[in-house]
Amino acid sequence: MVNPQFFIVGAGPAGLCAGIAAAEQGVSVLIVDEGFMPGGQLPKQTHKFFGHKGFFASVRGFDIAHQLVERAEKAGVEIRLETSVAGIYEDCIALWDRKKDHVWESKPERILIATGASERFIPFENNLLVGIYGAGAVQTLMNQYGVLPGKDFLIVGSGNIGLIVGYQLVQAGARVKAIVDIASKIGGYEVHSRKIERLGIPILLNHTIVKAIGKQKVRGAVIAPVNDQWKPITSESRELFVDSICLAVGLQPSVELAAQSGSAIEYIPALGGYIPVRDPQMRTTIPTVFVAGDISSIEEASTAMMEGFIAGFQVAQDLTGTDMQAKMSNMRDELTALRRGPFSSKVREGLGHFGIHFPSGGYRTETQTETGPFDTMKALIECPQCIPCNPCETSCPTKAIEVGGNLNGIPWVNYEACTGCGICAMICPGLAIFMVQKKGDKAVIGIPYELLPLPEKEDVVFVQDRKGQVLGEATVIRVMKNEKEKTHLVFIEVPIEWADTVRSVQVPEQKKNDYICRCEEVTVEEIERAIDMGYTDYEELRRYLRIGMGPCGGRVCRAQTLQILSSKLEIPIAELEPGTFRAPSIPLPFRAIRRGETDE
Amino acid sequence: MDTRLKEHPILDEWGGENLSFWFEGKHLIGHAGDSIAAALIANGIDSFGQTEKGTPRGIFCAIGKCSACMVEVDGVPNVRACLTPLQEGMRVSSQAGKGKPIW
Amino acid sequence: MNDPQVVIIGGGITGTAIAYHLAKLGAKRVTVIEKDYLSSGSTGRCGGGIRQQWSSPYNVRLAMKSVEHFTRFREEMDMDIEYYQGGYLLLSFDEEEATQFEENVRMQREEGLKVEILSSKEVSQKYPYIRTEGLKMATFCKTDGHANPHKATFGYANAGKKLGVAIHTHTNAEQVDVQSGSVKGVHTTRGYFPADIVINAAGPWSKEVGQLAGIDLPTESYRHQIFVTEALDYFFPFMAISFSGNFYMRQAMHGQFIMGKGDADEVPGINRNVTYRFAKEMAIKMVKVFPFLENLRILRHWSGEYNMSPDAQPVIGESPQLKGYYYSVGYSGHGFMIAPAVAEGLAHIIMNGSSPFLDLAPLNTHRFRGKTQREKNVV
Repeated sequence: MVNPQFFIVGAGPAGLCAGIAAAEQGVSVLIVDEGFMPGGQLPKQTHKFFGHKGFFASVRGFDIAHQLVERAEKAGVEIRLETSVAGIYEDCIALWDRKKDHVWESKPERILIATGASERFIPFENNLLVGIYGAGAVQTLMNQYGVLPGKDFLIVGSGNIGLIVGYQLVQAGARVKAIVDIASKIGGYEVHSRKIERLGIPILLNHTIVKAIGKQKVRGAVIAPVNDQWKPITSESRELFVDSICLAVGLQPSVELAAQSGSAIEYIPALGGYIPVRDPQMRTTIPTVFVAGDISSIEEASTAMMEGFIAGFQVAQDLTGTDMQAKMSNMRDELTALRRGPFSSKVREGLGHFGIHFPSGGYRTETQTETGPFDTMKALIECPQCIPCNPCETSCPTKAIEVGGNLNGIPWVNYEACTGCGICAMICPGLAIFMVQKKGDKAVIGIPYELLPLPEKEDVVFVQDRKGQVLGEATVIRVMKNEKEKTHLVFIEVPIEWADTVRSVQVPEQKKNDYICRCEEVTVEEIERAIDMGYTDYEELRRYLRIGMGPCGGRVCRAQTLQILSSKLEIPIAELEPGTFRAPSIPLPFRAIRRGETDE
Repeated sequence: MDTRLKEHPILDEWGGENLSFWFEGKHLIGHAGDSIAAALIANGIDSFGQTEKGTPRGIFCAIGKCSACMVEVDGVPNVRACLTPLQEGMRVSSQAGKGKPIW
Repeated sequence: MNDPQVVIIGGGITGTAIAYHLAKLGAKRVTVIEKDYLSSGSTGRCGGGIRQQWSSPYNVRLAMKSVEHFTRFREEMDMDIEYYQGGYLLLSFDEEEATQFEENVRMQREEGLKVEILSSKEVSQKYPYIRTEGLKMATFCKTDGHANPHKATFGYANAGKKLGVAIHTHTNAEQVDVQSGSVKGVHTTRGYFPADIVINAAGPWSKEVGQLAGIDLPTESYRHQIFVTEALDYFFPFMAISFSGNFYMRQAMHGQFIMGKGDADEVPGINRNVTYRFAKEMAIKMVKVFPFLENLRILRHWSGEYNMSPDAQPVIGESPQLKGYYYSVGYSGHGFMIAPAVAEGLAHIIMNGSSPFLDLAPLNTHRFRGKTQREKNVV
């Protein structure tokens, strides 16, 4: 028998905060989690969180997890990992310790179900192939374990998860061919989509995946635009050469245990699907059972933490009699502030079904039109939407930025107070702040940078506009490294005409140096890329890349090139045209030819 | 084929010492801290078994909710490779369809 | 017409450029069919030169317009075709030709082209690596140049595809469907393509493809051989060409020398073999004029076709016998360099009824009924 007072299922942000809230009031708390690492979805989040400073804004997900676990353990919370709750039965909770392969029974006084959500799946032809992953899976593998399951990705879904995973894939060194979304507008925050677009990755709206290509595993995908009945227009479909397909098509709450506990479940699409009915203190229709986090509405880690705290405070009040109203009210104010913005409109609508009302509005919605002057270095904020986020405001040492109203407001810069220190640019979770200085016919732009390799002073880089189009080259005049934040600022000097368009830099590609054509130094990657671009004939490849046009005449490289073509196109070499073999078969000197004619 | 990341702009390092394990009788190296799934994928193995109908199967959700990644570990079937930490000396085999009974 | 269904037979520079310009003017149903791979015909085998110094004002104008296109190519088509304006040095070894050259220069200057006349002495002072024995004079135009013909074809093809052009390679045209004196479509090995307009851009096979529609085109293909040497450090910026001397040579940006000559003994027909005799004749001739070639080695030797017309001028227009059937053929060895201008002009004629800058009517087949003026500046 395992009998804590407060039994929490799930060691994610909601569960950990609930545990902290109750344990700090003296309640005995046990948190169990199926995984072998605590933190839920947090440990694999490498991007900086939004929200506000008191709630880990601008802290990276995995750091938040560390801090929460530390605080929980300090408060005396017991955390058991690799333990699955097999069921909430009529008579007890059965928990299966998978390491010891032992089932324990538990009869706690209060239960919090914080089991989060799971990835949705969509039907398309061949969607069982190896190489099709939920977006979360790709994130887990690359960020938690440091393993990249593929090289060329198609992402389905342009919500925050699809956009964030896309960016993280590039950070890990993979290539994202495209992001498709069946909707006609981007689902996630524009600051996330702009980060993707600056890299030149296309976001194809009104598009869907029609099928995955491959026999044992993914070798490609067919995408097509959709008509106004959302059906694919197959005559306009095209193939992408990818080896992995990432589905980021939404999450659904994991409500099985809540249903087993007897609590009422309702279907509320605005909150993500089937949702346990609950009151403002997160209590379900069963008075001893609480829910918090994604299980109660598909939202963010910050709202999960706040709801976790509220549930924990209520449980503490139930069990110790201490008045927790002030703390709960405080937390509810935080939730309210966060949920005022336009991106929370669905959650507000959904919670309305439970008679729980959150107000909207009360913040600035206009973008700053009068910016500058930029004759000394100043910050330029390109944050066009109302999202709950204000680390720019709280981090500015001269208080030059304010978001106007509550944290959903659009930040404005007071240019007299701005000293151009760059702290905001390195702190902004959306990488949406740029440093700009205009001097005569030149401009210096500071770009927030989180990729490898980090350029160095005097390197020549490609400069790109907001759509990732390369405008030209520029020299890096300064790099502000930030080892703590890991967001660095790369300063480049460009002609003044580009001051308002240059928003990204790209380091010229480091060659992997695996050559196929020795004479012309053509690598495997270049050949594969050319084939992807449509040069699928050996002769076309030759002409485009100059393979075999050097002194060896193809003797070294023809076979290997045909090999690559064969494996990419899945056509046996015997069926490919190998190009012509012709004289001279050895480089023939003019001198010798002349002698043959004139000497005797 | 090695799919392990050698450098990353944000994350400093992963995993600890090398661990030996076996997959289908072949000796492989993983790292302390890997899940079985991560260790297999790091060694280029992304197909862990077959469905009952013979379709190759790999991981999908990687957090234990979809049951795509079931493998047999040290004779025990239906182990979710994504949620089970790799241990020194584990013998993992792919699971074709239903697990086989052992006694 | 504003959205005709167009089928273009031939995937070389002509076919792909016309497809692109049609799509640019709004045609949404353009298809190119190519029996092999893109640029597999004359385009992919040519020397890549882009010259404006012609003997007829017509050719000069077409070439000057094309140079405007080549200059914008990288930006417009988003493909670097290694275009370089290193100039063309026309070398004359014959008195009569030298006099003609002076007249040509007068005419070229009237057309707005900047051309220099150089004496033999001036040539050897400016270009000490040229042996000027027997040279009478030379002309030089520094906006002449060269580019990579394969990449130019790929560039037009990719840009056309972005605008909706469909390109089918490894697809043969088998017959053109004709009803009541108009084209209706094309039967191919990939099925039937209905068409309001069919364009014969088949280069070396212009005559055979013409037969598929029952049209007789006065074109014949002749083999021309060409080879490339190993690379030297880049120093030779222009295309050196001589009609009286019968050769042309340029150094490509990657350092290799590309050269060739005409052969009066060739017979009409497609022949992709190469002869040692050609290598011998070239070796002797070229080393005499360019002694630095002595130590160089020939790397690759291939051949291609000049699709010749009776007066060495292209045959362009709509067939008077078959409504909707156009041809852009017979480029007689200078197709690459004037294709962009012709493509734009022809696209305008098809879409709008007339071309804004050029009257292509004199190039249609009716000219062969009367006396024609042969273009002399051809190797």
